Amino acid sequence: MTTHAWLNHYPSDVPHELESHSFRNLPDLLAVASKNYSKTTAFTQCMPNGMNGSLTFEQVDKLSDDFASYLREEAGLKSGERVAVQMPNCLSYPIVAFGVLKAGCVLVNTNPLYTQTEMLHQFSDSGSSALVVVDMFADRLTGIIEKTKIKSVVTVSVSEFFPGPVAGIIKLTQKYWSKTLPKIKVEHTSFRDALKLGKKASANDKLSGYLENVGPDTVAALQYTGGTTGVSKGAMLTHGNLVNNTLQMISMCGSYMRPGAEIVLTALPLYHIFAFTVNLLGFYHLGARNILVPSPRPPSNLKRAFVNYRVTWLSGVNTLFSALLNERWFTDSPPKYLRASAAGGMALHESVAKRWREVTGTPIVEGYGLTESSPVLTFNPLGGLQKDGTIGIPVPSTEVRCVDEEGNDVQIGQPGELIARGPQIMQGYWQRADESSLALRDGWLQTGDIAQVDSDGYFTIVDRKKDMILVSGFNVYPNEVEERIANVSGVREVGVIGIPDQNSGERVWAYVVVSQPAPSTEDIVSHCREHMAAYKVPQHIIFVDELPKSPIGKILRRELRDGALASASSSNDGKGA
Amino acid sequence: MRNLMILAAEAANEPTVVNEMEQTLLRAFVLIIMFGLGAGLTPKDFALALRRPWGLVIGWITQFGIMPLTAYVLIVTVLLPFSSTEGILLVALGALIMGSVPAGTTSNLFTYFSKGNLALSVTMTVNSTLWAFVMTPAVLFIYSNFLGLDESLSVEFGELALVIFGLIVPVGLGMLVRRLSANVGAVLELIGGVFGLIFIPFLIIIWVPRNWELLMTTEWPTYVVAIGMGLVGITVAYYLAKLIRMHPMNARTISLETGINNGPLAIAVIVAVYIDNPGVDQILLVPALYSLFIVLISTGVTLVFRRANLAAEQKIPNLL
Repeated sequence: MTTHAWLNHYPSDVPHELESHSFRNLPDLLAVASKNYSKTTAFTQCMPNGMNGSLTFEQVDKLSDDFASYLREEAGLKSGERVAVQMPNCLSYPIVAFGVLKAGCVLVNTNPLYTQTEMLHQFSDSGSSALVVVDMFADRLTGIIEKTKIKSVVTVSVSEFFPGPVAGIIKLTQKYWSKTLPKIKVEHTSFRDALKLGKKASANDKLSGYLENVGPDTVAALQYTGGTTGVSKGAMLTHGNLVNNTLQMISMCGSYMRPGAEIVLTALPLYHIFAFTVNLLGFYHLGARNILVPSPRPPSNLKRAFVNYRVTWLSGVNTLFSALLNERWFTDSPPKYLRASAAGGMALHESVAKRWREVTGTPIVEGYGLTESSPVLTFNPLGGLQKDGTIGIPVPSTEVRCVDEEGNDVQIGQPGELIARGPQIMQGYWQRADESSLALRDGWLQTGDIAQVDSDGYFTIVDRKKDMILVSGFNVYPNEVEERIANVSGVREVGVIGIPDQNSGERVWAYVVVSQPAPSTEDIVSHCREHMAAYKVPQHIIFVDELPKSPIGKILRRELRDGALASASSSNDGKGA
Repeated sequence: MRNLMILAAEAANEPTVVNEMEQTLLRAFVLIIMFGLGAGLTPKDFALALRRPWGLVIGWITQFGIMPLTAYVLIVTVLLPFSSTEGILLVALGALIMGSVPAGTTSNLFTYFSKGNLALSVTMTVNSTLWAFVMTPAVLFIYSNFLGLDESLSVEFGELALVIFGLIVPVGLGMLVRRLSANVGAVLELIGGVFGLIFIPFLIIIWVPRNWELLMTTEWPTYVVAIGMGLVGITVAYYLAKLIRMHPMNARTISLETGINNGPLAIAVIVAVYIDNPGVDQILLVPALYSLFIVLISTGVTLVFRRANLAAEQKIPNLL
């Protein structure tokens, strides 16, 4: 095999191949930090008004042991049974997630904002037998729980592990002011009680027994994703996948991640694979202090976290960085101790990256990955050549290629489907052999993303296969059009989609969120005309208050398209700007 | 018999509009509110405000320009010509003081409800509170001269400054506490906000019934001044901000910030400075009425603001 061009761009402190390690499973990996950093703070949850609670590494370790015992001894779960976990970022999350893994069970991360239909699908599809849910949303279980295999429900509160009076005030506010504590009508155990029961039943030999048959190839998590086909399905991520990806990510950052010295702000939800691997597993292993923010929207919710803690690392999506850059309190006094930021989940706009560096004076690098790859595949090396607009180069022990329809490598600079191979690639989709065989061919993950590679081995995502707009036979990539429009002053956010058209097959529509003073349709169109071929220029510009977004802030083009099609069929005026 | 007379003489010197228990409560209120205000602040907030001082400058001008002027104009056009009460100058003094004190925390709450710029509102409140210890005596000096208040009513400017300064101290202490413990700071901030709100039912439940007779015998010009001050202040400041093309969000903020003054502070200041003056009841009349009516006015204004202009601004979904 030829040597890969990208290896020349690895900084000197980054190994070409992942060093061999002896971690059989995730609890093995977690144990290192739990032991080395036992007395230091592992997690701090910071509410928008600054109220906070903290846990040390030792507390997280012991409490997650107790929860593992609860699951096995009290709830009666067996090795390999699935446990659905549905909560925003809070102190309970690491305890629950680590507890599930220590029990030898499989973690099923579930979005707390899901509707009943979505919850039912995910609980049934995964065959979960237990659920840990935040009390704020537990009322949604009524009417669906009996349709699933869930035998035990554990409820956590957002203020769990906060100092007593503070927790009390938060509870009172939730109950009487914001009215976000509904009555829970299904049978459930409180997290506190579950931990007590677990503690009583626990014993060291039992704990090690839970993990006897849990090796690198045992499934650790079912991480649900739409994938390229849109049907929500569980990617089977093994202990080996997640351990390796955590170590790959850390080794790629070289000396930018100092063991025992970092403070990372976790604004992205931990139930999302990006924050799960990078923030939770990665920074825990590093002995970092994790500042958990339950909800980053509105962005002013992050203000107290930035003021009260010396944040050194931030991971986020384009939307988050862009939102922060629109906040005066952030741009006027950017975090002093910040060392670097990592962007993923969606394309990082070059204009945002540039401004971020100007404002914070620190590097921001874009990475790329999928739920199916645990997720990190590529990264711009922090200590090496960074190319804006690219997703960087593959992390150690990872191969990435761009191929044509027949699976042959395309030439340098030509677009092709990005495929990847490495120790972080999932085993397949849970109970969906057909979808698995489409996604995995000879060990190569078919990402469905169109990319090109340059002579240095840096990859650039041109677009997702399904988002590509075909205008009279010409390919229009929404990312490119969005990037252009985002450069118009006064444009805050933009989403571009393709709408069926009798003449051209498809035409381009742009949904724009503006700030004051707002640009006119003319401003935007003329800017596009100046910089792009005519067929790429949006034919219709729609100003909206906000764009539909996924929990991590990724703009949901599919929802824009569905909405546009629905209104087009009802009005059918065929008007274009 | 003799003892009774002494008692009566002593009672005459004690204000009845605000009795001793109420005074103590009031001081506690103001301290807690100021403490909470400070607990929500960091030095960074000041740095931020100073870097873009426009909002603050406009706010400062409206706060210490429009409000006292409004009070003065209402006094000379409505209160003095149409009142027949003997101690009307005392009432006028109370109205002037009410117009010259800084903004209160209630304005932050209404700014929040009317989707204004909360950060600007809070910094404006703090800014005017800090300036108050110079500006309130200065403004009072000017207008009391215009009114030609006789010597017995002349304001003790030094004492006034000292009292206001004493009330600013808790702001600094609150900041310090927040720095030492974010949790304690956040709790104090919350309690301060709650007390700012409790002040209103406190007025309605305790003060109104006890002073029912007084309220009934108070002449209409006094009501016009007490109600008009807030209403005119809010309106003038809003159109002024619009005139210089401020963002609607900031215009709403400046308007509420200007019109809503710190009622508890005005009352506390009067009690502290004029406790020995036999006319203290009359001085307290407008501040008490103002504090009562400003809630109704602000609620109405908030409803109007919410209806206007909101479509142009972004809604943000919130998980918690």
